[in-house]
Amino acid sequence: MSSMIEVKNVRKLFVNEEGEKNEVLKNVSFHVDKNEFVVIFGPGQCGKTTLLNIIAGLEEATDGEVLKMGETVSGPGPDRAVVFQDILLFPWLTVMQNVEYSMKVRGMDSRMRREEAGKYIDLVGLNGFEKAYPVQISGGMKQRVGIARAYCTKPDVMLMDEPFGALDAQTRYLMQDEVIRISSTEKRTVVFVTNNVEEAIYLADRIIIMTDCPSTVLKDIKIDLPRPRSYVDPEFLSLRKEISAMLNRKR
Amino acid sequence: MKKRESLRKSVWTIISLVTLFLIWYLGSRNEELGRLMPDPVEVLKFIAAGFVAPIGKKLLWEHILWSLSRVLIGYVLACIVGILLGFAASWFKVGEAVIRPFYLLLRSIPSLAWIPLAILWFGIGEKSKYFIIFITAVMIIMTNVMDGVKAVSPELLGVARMLGTKEKQLFVRVVLPCAVPQIFNGLQVAVGSAWAAVLAAEMVRSSEGVGWIILAGQSSMNMVQIFAGIVVIGMIGLLLALLIRAAERRLCAWNVRGK
Repeated sequence: MSSMIEVKNVRKLFVNEEGEKNEVLKNVSFHVDKNEFVVIFGPGQCGKTTLLNIIAGLEEATDGEVLKMGETVSGPGPDRAVVFQDILLFPWLTVMQNVEYSMKVRGMDSRMRREEAGKYIDLVGLNGFEKAYPVQISGGMKQRVGIARAYCTKPDVMLMDEPFGALDAQTRYLMQDEVIRISSTEKRTVVFVTNNVEEAIYLADRIIIMTDCPSTVLKDIKIDLPRPRSYVDPEFLSLRKEISAMLNRKR
Repeated sequence: MKKRESLRKSVWTIISLVTLFLIWYLGSRNEELGRLMPDPVEVLKFIAAGFVAPIGKKLLWEHILWSLSRVLIGYVLACIVGILLGFAASWFKVGEAVIRPFYLLLRSIPSLAWIPLAILWFGIGEKSKYFIIFITAVMIIMTNVMDGVKAVSPELLGVARMLGTKEKQLFVRVVLPCAVPQIFNGLQVAVGSAWAAVLAAEMVRSSEGVGWIILAGQSSMNMVQIFAGIVVIGMIGLLLALLIRAAERRLCAWNVRGK
């Protein structure tokens, strides 16, 4: 059986107006199995978002390719839903309308999509805010809308790009538990990008550790810790130490 | 909290208006200035009298209606044409290539410069007045529509595609709603300019309208009448702007509520 996502020798080169070349991804290869929660973790600002955008089809790889269930990815589509770091809700739509958007453009009738959207709004804990506009709710709530919206497209893969990067620490912990809870209720393949080592260990079935610029896969480790996990569990701490040491050696 | 703040703002607005009126009033008491400026009380009296006794051939409210109808026709045409051309020249690549050069050439021509042409093309009747108002408003509306479309973020378009929006749906689903606040901004600025252009339009032979009141005041050296015309134009311009803003508040609640 082929993997859900297969990234094959992906390279990405940006060339700016002065003709300077900037290689952000170099020969990146890995795979993601069905229903697996894979975290792409790496230091700094290099390449991770670009990699996710290439999987989403929002950017094109310079070399190499991405396969989804054996087929080459050639553009964005509802089978690979993205939760963005800077959220990107439609500001002119209410919470409900944002969540049901993908079903509306697919032409689903309004009663069915209301019901379906309502289910996901409940799941992310936003009931009572259906009629609010994005400007009226907090950052954490917006991110929940983004997650509900992504789930509503019934994607084969959820791509999450540092979704909690802009949130305060407290909300961040809360949202991490939320994501675990949601993905255990609603089994999905998730690719989650972060530069926070604790978040990576807390969430992942498997962590793909990336090097700094140009990024490539440094190591691919399975995380076998039982769930629910704890930040202060000795095994958690030793894993954290191990991964940090790995990155320091590389530097 | 918000209520108190808006109350405080309105109090200051009233103070500022009263002060202006007082300065004007006291200034016109002074003999030297009195020759340059009519007494505001006299101007207000003139305006009030205009509602019962005709100025020229018509009552004041008839003059206002005449001007308003001219502005309305020119402005509505400008809205339709400006919005359509604006979208065509910004969302569609071919439209942009075809329309933009004309837009760039025409947009810096002041409305006064169109008067001679308007007379040659449309004569001295109503059509040339509509045209002057139209050309003034249409450029402003186009500019804002184009800016609005250009401001649609490529990221948001990416999100829309990711959520399954087809290329054909993108315009209605994303571009249009995204551009609406900027379009309203254009409509509001344009209604002000269109109303101000009524003076230019009525410089092309007319015997009615608030622009005519000012022009007639000039030819009969009646300063009170000139000022009355100015005050009326100013007030109505303000009312029109408030009207558009109220419409925006209803139609773009998502944008206004956040402010």
